[in-house]
Order: sequence, then structure tokens, then C-alpha cells
Amino acid sequence: MMTGQLRVIASSGSPALAQASDFSSVPKLTAAGVSKVFNGRHAIDDVSFIVRERELVAVLGPSGAGKTTLFRCMTGLLAPDRGTVRIGGDDISLLRGRERRRVAVVFQQFNLVSRLTALENVLAGRLGYVPAWRGWLRRFTRSDRALALECLDRVGLLDRATQRADTLSGGQQQRVAIARALAQRPSLIVADEPVASLDPNAGTGVLDLLHGIARTDGVGVICSLHQVHFARAYADRIIGLSHGRVVIDVPTSSFDQAAFENLYGPQAAGGPADSNA
Amino acid sequence: MASSPECVLDEMEAMRRGFTVRRIRFWFISALVIAFYAVSWNLADIDLHKLATGLPRLGHWIATAWPPKLDEVPLFAYRTAETVAMAAIGTTLATLLAIPMCILASRNITPWPALYFPARWFLNALRGIDSFVFALLFVAAVGLGPFAGVLGIALHTWGSMAKFFADHIESANLGPFEAVRTTGAGRLTTIAYALVPDVLPVLLSTALFWWEFNVRASTVLGVVGAGGIGQELKNSMDLLDFSRLFTIIAVILIVVTALDQLSGWLRKRLV
Repeated sequence: MMTGQLRVIASSGSPALAQASDFSSVPKLTAAGVSKVFNGRHAIDDVSFIVRERELVAVLGPSGAGKTTLFRCMTGLLAPDRGTVRIGGDDISLLRGRERRRVAVVFQQFNLVSRLTALENVLAGRLGYVPAWRGWLRRFTRSDRALALECLDRVGLLDRATQRADTLSGGQQQRVAIARALAQRPSLIVADEPVASLDPNAGTGVLDLLHGIARTDGVGVICSLHQVHFARAYADRIIGLSHGRVVIDVPTSSFDQAAFENLYGPQAAGGPADSNA
Repeated sequence: MASSPECVLDEMEAMRRGFTVRRIRFWFISALVIAFYAVSWNLADIDLHKLATGLPRLGHWIATAWPPKLDEVPLFAYRTAETVAMAAIGTTLATLLAIPMCILASRNITPWPALYFPARWFLNALRGIDSFVFALLFVAAVGLGPFAGVLGIALHTWGSMAKFFADHIESANLGPFEAVRTTGAGRLTTIAYALVPDVLPVLLSTALFWWEFNVRASTVLGVVGAGGIGQELKNSMDLLDFSRLFTIIAVILIVVTALDQLSGWLRKRLV
């Protein structure tokens, strides 16, 4: 958190504090009273929060808390029963076709096209911009290819551009997926458990990237996580989801032991649990 | 309490030993299977005595098959080439027709879910009718010759292939499809970008397999007048000219084996 603030301050020459608060004033995503019912049970219930520009928001919560449902609502893959999700000022359920490019999604399972090269996977991020026939033939303009290579360079994989996606390691595949999201020039990146399938080192690399993108590209990043220490290290704000409801929405510095126990229950606090309870 | 693994194991064993319902069911199913084979044996008119008297006759024919009719081999080669060509055109036609149909018949990517079941029924109907039967119909419609065979092969293979492709797509991992869709790409663009690269090798390999299969299957199409080597086969049989018959069979075997090898090699390179 602190290092992130410092980086912003260092990169801008003007009065730092005012600038920083200005940056975080533009809402990129606004969820208002979002509910979704499955089989008579609320998967998410009256969920409201805001993700601002240059902000990385982590969503924490035990399994079954409704994180997946919430994320599918935020990507427009699922329509909420009540409430709205707004991207900038527009209702996401009305973002049809090409307009969907404004929200980029990073998945737990990377979801690269395995037989295509890293570069071709990144170029998929341009499909919301180019005429359909270019997508069909995978023929992109020079400027699109240059942009895609720049994105690959940003995730440190320029030298892997022509390598097939399924020959890359998990961490590399997730970085290609992030490059694909970048090529989309989104205003919001939604990352659903982006490090859950990665080893700790690869996970750190991925979160470093997402954090840096939030800061330098002026996008909002919302990211669900299982590891609390990752959230503490990289998030500006932490939202806690429990039984489909937002129970915590605080700056990371305020996410203390009490908040942690509130979210995961007292047993999870640490130390071996009593198995003969 | 019955909470130790030992106790649970004892309970499971006791249950297995005591269960007479299970035993009754076993004997009932056994009786059904035996009855099924008894009825089938009867319907199939199995007569081992006929086989015993027929085998020596077959042996006699084989004995008269030598020497082979080498002077007619160019004709047989031409007719076999006709068969291979029929299978190739028919299979290619079927593949091209199967591509749009398999999208309609895949529950997970079809743009028109309402057409899913009609598409499946249509494919099942095509698949249910053998190329031989189709060829019979087309001989009546377009006349004798290989063209009727091509149409027969194309229709039956269309159904089989599209169903196979659709099943393959329905079980494919749709993660990449979903991911590409969220970039703002249209549905068809997404199919072309995310699905085709993964499915194409399987598709080509299946097409090769069907070509090879259709070469073997269409050797008999000539019997109903739909062109190819089958016509010569039938003529020889009618004339009881066994040296000619066995020469034809030898030619078919050589060509089919060579194609087997070729398509096997190609398919290994594809996947």
C-alpha cells in the first residue's frame, strides 16, 4: 500500500497528496444492491461497492461466499436478479458486443487458446476493435501487432511471443492472459482468483503486474484472492464477502485481526484447531 | 459407537453377505442375457452343419483362383481408383456440410438454441440410414454410376461426422471461448478464434478416418450399381469366375492397406 502510494507520488511532479486523492476519485465500477438467487437461496445479497481508477481492490471470503457469482455479474456473463453493475456510467447488462471490451477478465485457469502462440493470444484482446474478418483469418494490422508485442513486453514475455501457449508455464500463461487484458485497453480489469493455480513466486509476479497496471494505466482492478497475505501486500482496499453479503469494505491498513476473524471465523485465526471438538 | 473404521468395515461386509435381493437380481439379469442370446441364435438361423458342408466348397473355389487374372488388373485398378475417388469426394462434401451443422448441434455454442434438437434429429436420421441405402435411392434418382455413390456416402457421413464433431465441441473446455468472448469479439469470431484452432486437428483427423472407412465401405456400393470396384466384384461372383474374384479382392486389399498406412501417418502428424 505504502510503496504503491510512493510510486505514484514519485512519478507525478505536482503536490502529491492532492494528486493521489484526485486519482482515486473516478469510479470505474459501481455495484449497487446486486442480488442473485439460485434455487431460492441468495448467492449474493444486496452487494454494493465501488472500484476507482488506479485502485486494486481485493475481494476475500471463504469458499461459497458468493465470490464467483459476484465476478460473473461483474463481467456480464451473468445478469443479476436485482441491482446494477455500472462500468463508468453504463449498466453492464446493456454493454453488448464490442462494448464488452471495456471490461477485461483474467481467469483462474488462464483460458488461453492452447494451440495458438502467445502473441496470437494477446491479439485476441484486439478483437473488440478490428473488423470480424481479421479475427477469422488472424490477420492483424502492423499497429495492432506492435501493441500486442508491447503488452507482452510489459509482462516480461517478449521473447516468448512465437511460442505456443500450452508450452508455457502456469505463471507465464497467466502473464500472457494479463497481456491479453492489456491489449483490450480496458477501463476495468476483473481478475477471478488469478493466482489460485500458481506457486507463490508466480503469484507474486502476477499480482505485481496487476498492481502496477492499476497504478500506471489508470484502470481499476478488482481481484478475488484466497491468500490474505497477498491482499495485505497488494490491495488498496479489501472487501470481505460472507454468505453473499459485504461484511467488510475497508482500506487495507484497517484490515486487522478482528476483521479477519469476522470474515473467516475465530478458528481460522491460526494455531492448530482442536480436531476432537 | 460404530465410528471406528473396523466397525464400518464389519457393517459393510454383513450387508453384502445378507442381501438376498442382490442375489435374486443377479440371477434375473443372467437369465435375461441368456434368453437374449438364445432368441438371437434362433433368429440368425445359425446352422453349423451348413458351415461344415460349405467350407470345403469355399476351399475348392480358392484352389481354382490360381493363376490370378493379371491381364485385367489395369481395369480393376481403374475401378478401385473410382472407389477411392468416390469416397474422397463424398467425405469432403460431408466434412464441409458438417461444419455448420456441428455448430447448430452443439448445445454450448449454438447461436439458435431452438434449433438444437431439430439439428440433432436430422443428424441422427442421416446417421441411421447407411450409405448403401442412400446409394440405392440415388441410383433410382440420378441413374447408375459413381455419382449416386458419392451422394450416398456424403449424406450418411455428413450425419455421422457432424454428430461426432458436435459431441467433441460439447465436451471441449469452453474457458478460452468465454475469455475471447469477453474481449468484445462476436460469436462467430470467437468460434473461429478460440474453438477452431483446438478443434481443427481433430476435425481433419476424423475426416481422414472417414475417408479411409468410406473406401472400404464403398467397395460394395457397386453391387447396387453405384460405381466403383464393387460392380466388377458382383459380375465375377455372378459368373462364378473365382480367379477374377480373388484378383479383385487382392487389389482391394493392397489399396486399402496402403491408404490405411497413409492416413495413419497423416493423422499422427496432425494431432
